[in-house]
Parts: sequence; C-alpha cells; structure tokens
Amino acid sequence: MGRMTFVLRRLLQLVPVAIGVTIVVFFMIHLIPGDPARTILGIHATPRTVALLHAEWGLNRPLVDQYWLFMDRLLHGNLGVSLYYGGPASSLLLSHLPPTLWIITYGSVLAVLISVPLAMIAASRKDGARDHLVRAVPLIGLGMPPFWLGFLLIYAFAIKLHWFPVSGYGSGFLGHVRSMFLPSLTVALAIAPVVIRSLRASMLNVLGAEYVTTARSKGVPAYRLFLRHVLRNAVIPAVTVLGINIAFLIGGTVIIETVFAIPGLGQLMINSIFQRDFTVVQGVSLVFAIMVILLNLLADIAYALLDPRVRFSR
Amino acid sequence: MTYRTTAALALPAGAASRPGTPPVLARGSYPPEPPAGAQAPRPRRAAWALVAAGAMTLVAACGGSGSAGSASGGTAGGPAHGGNLVVARTADSQSMNNTTVFDNESIWIFEQIMQPLYTVTPNGKGVEPWLATGYTVSPDKKTYTFTLRKGVKFSNGKPMTSADVKFSIDQARAAAKGWGYIDTAIKSVSAPSPGTVVVSLKYPWAPLLADLSLFSNAIIPANYGGQTETAFYQHPVGTGPFKWDYWHKGSALKLVRNPYFWQKGKPYLNSVTWTDVPSDNTRELQLKGGQAQVDEFPAWSTVSSLKATSGVTMHLFNSTRTDYLAFNETAKPFQDVHVRRAISLAINRAALVKAVLFGNGRPANSFFPPQVPYYQPATKGLQYNLAEAKAEMARSSVPHGFTTTFLVSSGFSDYLTIATIVQNELKPLGINVKIQQLDPNTANLNQQNLKYDMTLTYWTMDIPDPDELATFGVDPNSGARSFFTAYNNPTVVKDTHLAEQTLATSARQALYNTIQADSAADAFMAFLYYSPYAYATTSNVHGFYVTPLGNYHLENVWMSK
Repeated sequence: MGRMTFVLRRLLQLVPVAIGVTIVVFFMIHLIPGDPARTILGIHATPRTVALLHAEWGLNRPLVDQYWLFMDRLLHGNLGVSLYYGGPASSLLLSHLPPTLWIITYGSVLAVLISVPLAMIAASRKDGARDHLVRAVPLIGLGMPPFWLGFLLIYAFAIKLHWFPVSGYGSGFLGHVRSMFLPSLTVALAIAPVVIRSLRASMLNVLGAEYVTTARSKGVPAYRLFLRHVLRNAVIPAVTVLGINIAFLIGGTVIIETVFAIPGLGQLMINSIFQRDFTVVQGVSLVFAIMVILLNLLADIAYALLDPRVRFSR
Repeated sequence: MTYRTTAALALPAGAASRPGTPPVLARGSYPPEPPAGAQAPRPRRAAWALVAAGAMTLVAACGGSGSAGSASGGTAGGPAHGGNLVVARTADSQSMNNTTVFDNESIWIFEQIMQPLYTVTPNGKGVEPWLATGYTVSPDKKTYTFTLRKGVKFSNGKPMTSADVKFSIDQARAAAKGWGYIDTAIKSVSAPSPGTVVVSLKYPWAPLLADLSLFSNAIIPANYGGQTETAFYQHPVGTGPFKWDYWHKGSALKLVRNPYFWQKGKPYLNSVTWTDVPSDNTRELQLKGGQAQVDEFPAWSTVSSLKATSGVTMHLFNSTRTDYLAFNETAKPFQDVHVRRAISLAINRAALVKAVLFGNGRPANSFFPPQVPYYQPATKGLQYNLAEAKAEMARSSVPHGFTTTFLVSSGFSDYLTIATIVQNELKPLGINVKIQQLDPNTANLNQQNLKYDMTLTYWTMDIPDPDELATFGVDPNSGARSFFTAYNNPTVVKDTHLAEQTLATSARQALYNTIQADSAADAFMAFLYYSPYAYATTSNVHGFYVTPLGNYHLENVWMSK
C-alpha cells in the first residue's frame, strides 16, 4: 500500500470515530443536570423567560431532534452558537486552539530535548551511578502533580529570577516562545521520565545487537556509533511512547492552562461544562478527538518512516 | 451582584473560595527493563546541563517584558497619567448588555463604559448626581423631573441628550429577560427638552433614585447609535471614563481611555485590561511578579501574608456581602420554626468567621448587611447558644432529631468547610447531616427548584436601598420565592411592600426594623456572617476603591512608577 493510500485510509477512519464522539458527548452533556438558561438569566428568571430562551436555542425539542440539528449544522461546517457568549462556537474554538497547540508542540519538543541526551547518558553506563541518577531524578517530575511543579517553576524562574512572565500566553511569536516556556517545561518534565526510560531500554537492546558490535569492531567512533546506529534504531519504540503521552496530554492540558492562565481548549472545555454551554462542549470534544486521531496517525507515519521494515499496511 | 454564583476553576493547592474541579493528570506507564548484560560504549561527554541552561536563558531573552506600561508623573505632582492597569480576575465576562446580564464580571466592566443618572455614594448608603445634576418632584411624588449634566459626550464624540436617556431607560424597563423588574414603578419617561427628562411613576416609590443608579439604567446612545442591539453590545458606547478596545473571550478584555470623558483630567490611566486567571495562586503570583496590578479576590488564607508582602497592598473594603444557611420550608421538618431556630442557635458564627474567613469578617445578626440603609444593629438575631438550641429542639415536632441533607456546590472549599462545621455542630441536637456536593450549576438549579433541605447562599446589594433585598428575601410571590426558601410570613410581606411606598425616613426605618426582627425570629435562614471585599493591588496603584455594592470607579485610579 502506498503512503498516500495509507494516509487517506486512516483519514477516512477518522469519520466514524468523530461521529461516535459526537454521539457520546452530545448525550452525555445532556444527561448532566443543569440548565444554561438558568446560568444566563440568573435568579430573577421566571419560567416564562427560561422557556423563551429554551425555544430560542431549540432546547425544548426532543433530544434526538437536537442531535440531528447539531449534525446537520456540523455537516454544513457550522458548530452552532455559544449559548453563553452568544457568538459562533467555531470562533471561540479557533481562538483557543493555538495556545493548546503551543503547549503540546513546545512541550513535546522540550521533552525530546530533555529525554534524548539523558537516555544516552544513562545507557552509556548501564547500572552505573549516572544511569541510576538519570533513572531516578526525573521520576520527581513524573510523581509531582503538574500544578505543583508549575508553581515551583513560576516561583523560581518568574518571581525570583524574572526570566519568564509568571503566566499568560504572550503576544507575537517570540512572546509566545517566552511565555509558553514554563508551561511547556512543566509538561515536558512530566512526559520525559517515561520517554527516557523507554529510550534507555531500547538503546541497551540495540547496543547488544550484532551490527553494533560489527560497527564497533570496524572502529566507528563512539559518538557516530551512538547517533547513527544506536539512536536511530532505539528511537522507534520511544516514538510510540511519546505519541501515547502526547495524546494523553491533549485532554489533560487543563491543569497546566489553569496554573499558567493560558486561554486554551482545556480551559474552554471546563468553563463550558460549568456553564452548560452545550454547543461549545460538543465542539471542543470533537476537536480533541480529531487531534488525538491525527496524532496517532502522525505517530504511525513517523514509525514507518523511521523503520523501513514497517510497511504502510496496518 | 445579587447572590449568583459563577463557575470558575480553582486548584487544590491553596484554593479557598472559588468553584472548581479536581485535577486530572495523565500518566504513562513504565517501559520494560533492558536485557541483562547489555554493554554500552562511552558517548562523547557533553555539557548537557550547560546547554539546557543556555537554552533557557535564550528563551528567557525572547519577547518583551510583561510590564504594565509606564506612567508619567508621580506622587509629588499629584496623580500620574498613563499606564495600563491589569486586573487579574477569576472568570470571564458573559456579555456587555447592561440590561440583561447578571454576572459581576460583566457588570464591573460595562460600568466603566456606561453610566447612570445617579451613582452610589462611596459608603454605599445613598446616591449622588452623576449624568443628572438634580431633580424636582411633584407634590403627589409621582413625577420626577431630572436636569441633565451639561457637556457630557459619548465616547464617539456625540453629545448626550434627553432622547438618549429616554431610550436607555425605556430599553432597561422592557428587558423582560433582564433587570426590567427593577423599573416596574415607572409609568413613562419623556424628554420635553434636550437637557430635561421626566420620569412618571405609577405610585410614589421610595427607591426610585436608587433604582436609577443601577447599571441597567445606564445611558447609551438613542437607537443604539443606528446599530442593532446585538451589534451595539459587541462594542458598547457610553459616557464613562473608558471605551471599548477588544475582548478576547476566555482570555482578556481591554478598555482604553475615553478622550471625551466629562470629568476634566480623568481618567488617569491609558487603559485597563482584565485578564482571566482562575487560579487563586496564579493571580497572587502575577501580582508579586508585576504582571498584574490588581488581584481580584485573593484567597482568605493568603490575606495576612499579602498584608506583610512588600510591594503589595491588601485591601478589605466594606461590603454588603452576607452569607446565609437557607432552609427549604417545603421539606420536612423545616416548616417547623423551632427546628429552624434550633439550628440557627447551634451555629457558632465566630468559629465560622475564624475557619472560613481567617478572621476577616463578623457574625451576622440580620439578613440586611450593615452597609445597607435601614440596617438595624439592635436586631440581635439568633446567636450561638447551645442550651437554647436544645430547648428549641425539645419544643419542635422532631425533639429527638432527624436526618437531613446539606446541599453544597462542589469546588467551593469555603462552603465545604462551613458544611462540615455545621454538620458537627448539629450532632448535639440529634440532627444527622449528610453533605451532598453537586456541581455549581446543578446545585443552583436544585436550590431554585426547592430540591434541597439545607444549603448555603449569599447576597450582595445592587442598589443602595434595601427594597430589592427585602422583596427577594421574604416575599414568596417574588420570582425568588423568599430566597428560594418558600418562607411566608404575611406580616413581613405586607411591611415590605408598605416600605416601598413609604417616603418618610423614620417611618421606613420603623418598618424595616420590624421586618428584620420578625424574619430573624422566624429564622427563615440562619444569617451566618458579613465579609469584606478582598482585593490585593501592587503598591504603586492609587485611588482604587470598591463601594459596599461592589462597584469601582477606575477614573480615580492612577499608577506611580
């Protein structure tokens, strides 16, 4: 199977999954008690005014009808109107998407930058002092709740050293790079320990392979041996581990976004749930689902590109 | 204002008073160990730590500083002009439509843009002329003629006239889904000349000026300046000190100086930005790091440490906030006054103030807060007395106690603290309390539908007159069904409506004294405590003041270097 066919096939698989997500999310959010009309109209609302708003939003119609209406709009590229703000849900989603993408991308890059050298250091002396150190110390990042780690980083690098802003998204590319460093580092420190261990384990596996012994006997320098022969082969399982963790991260950025006051999709999701802003909750869930599916697809493509033995056939 | 709760996110660490959600943390699994005996070559030594530190420094050097802009001038020559004030707030606004919106985070913003004819005095107990300069009233007290302030312009440069005032108040009155009820006494509004407005009433109405000072009656251009209502409120225009700049929903909202503001030399600030920072800890850190100048609602647990922090000023403004424990009188056995009195007497309010507010408040004696006109300090209320509480229980329909449920909005750690303390305090009465935590939206809905036994609620004043609170609190036929308790004492209801149309101050005071005493004796709610409004600002912020009604006038605020 060609690469394009593989990608197209995987993208087509996205459609039923996305539809499944819309069904689950739509009916789950409506199962929760609570009323967006009451949220907006406050305590002075009379049953009549609540009913008026329900009719305006179509919330007085049967749930199945509301779902079809939602799907009909969706197929026309319309996510509906935010019940809370009154504006299009799509513009809310679009404005909240970049900060989340920044955290995920920046966090993943930092995780790789931290993990690769540390895994190499650990693998270079199995069971040595630095191996134990590299395996043990990053576990602090894994074990520490991200909100706590985030506050520690803010305190150290923003309050004491004034290297970074306390929080926020920043403006302009360089502003984002600076503002999003600490939140992304928080994410990276949580992911890195798993990637380090995975990479170290694969590296030790590869180091035992015959082709490495051959290369070594040919007098290939250590750095070249590590970078060309060991790392490239060892990185394959680590890509999968990283992919899974990033996919996990997509739904879990809300804490980081809260600590660092970043207006991302996680924040939007939580606020919309509290406000019972059904259209926005549905929209965000759909975006999250698509992001996870696309990420898995990217991981598969990366896997196949890194390992020529893997064909685009799965 | 009013009692409404808004949902915002709080974090467990140091979280004190905001609704929230438990953290969800994604964690991966460990990879397998490598096979034993694997050999490893020695890689070239690399100064990874130095590389990492270098990268951090490089990233840190990117972008601009997070400062709030600069202000010129200083304390020596009077208020400085310039600067961008950043207010870190708990949640986003909902809408800028002043006639229909109930949430404070919207109100506090559009109050800087749109202004009413009268405004609340700094002590929160009266009104003073604002866009009007005065009025005359007819002998039958049913016709008020207001003189408009000369030279007032909207932020688009057009002068404000009586036609704008008539349009604005007519729109506010018609807002069926909003604050229209506040203007029910108004029969008509007319504009006989550009500088004069006549308000005709259906009957003499004591709270009229207070009602006109409400933000819903603020003045906007007639016919929305030629726009549709929806389009107008996307970027509203008013006579206030600031005008619209932008609103990035869920992130930040910015207003800039209105060059046409009618107070000479004001506002001092170039702009004000409200940023959405739901975490208490992050708001505090933003203040300490100079990224924000105002921290809206620092956690009570941090008040004493913020007082001691250099560069930070901790403000505790007198407020009209009163917290209550509400009883649902449609649920057994809360229709029994002895049960309600027993519970009210069993609550140690001083202990609540200490545990929840860290001492920054005081026990409540009336359902009126002290900062509202006609508050009666002599009303003792039902204060902590366990012996009396037991005696009341003995006289009740359930002398041996009962089991009941205490509904609490989840995420409010303060509320859970109160519920836990009350749960323990009611044990000696034989009352077994089960705490039920529901998310704020559901909890509010259950409260409004009277699907609860006991719950917590609060109130802050919208107008400097007790009428709104009294009607809301004790009239079962108002939309709120007596604070959603179904309390019904016909004498109290009658006195409440009598007070609305009683213009003589002494007679009104007498009526409100009776209302406060009777409702306290009926213990329709247990009045818990009065608390101040907590705001922390950086020490270079001057003139920041919050009235007991929660409004602030940012035209008076300036920043020194």
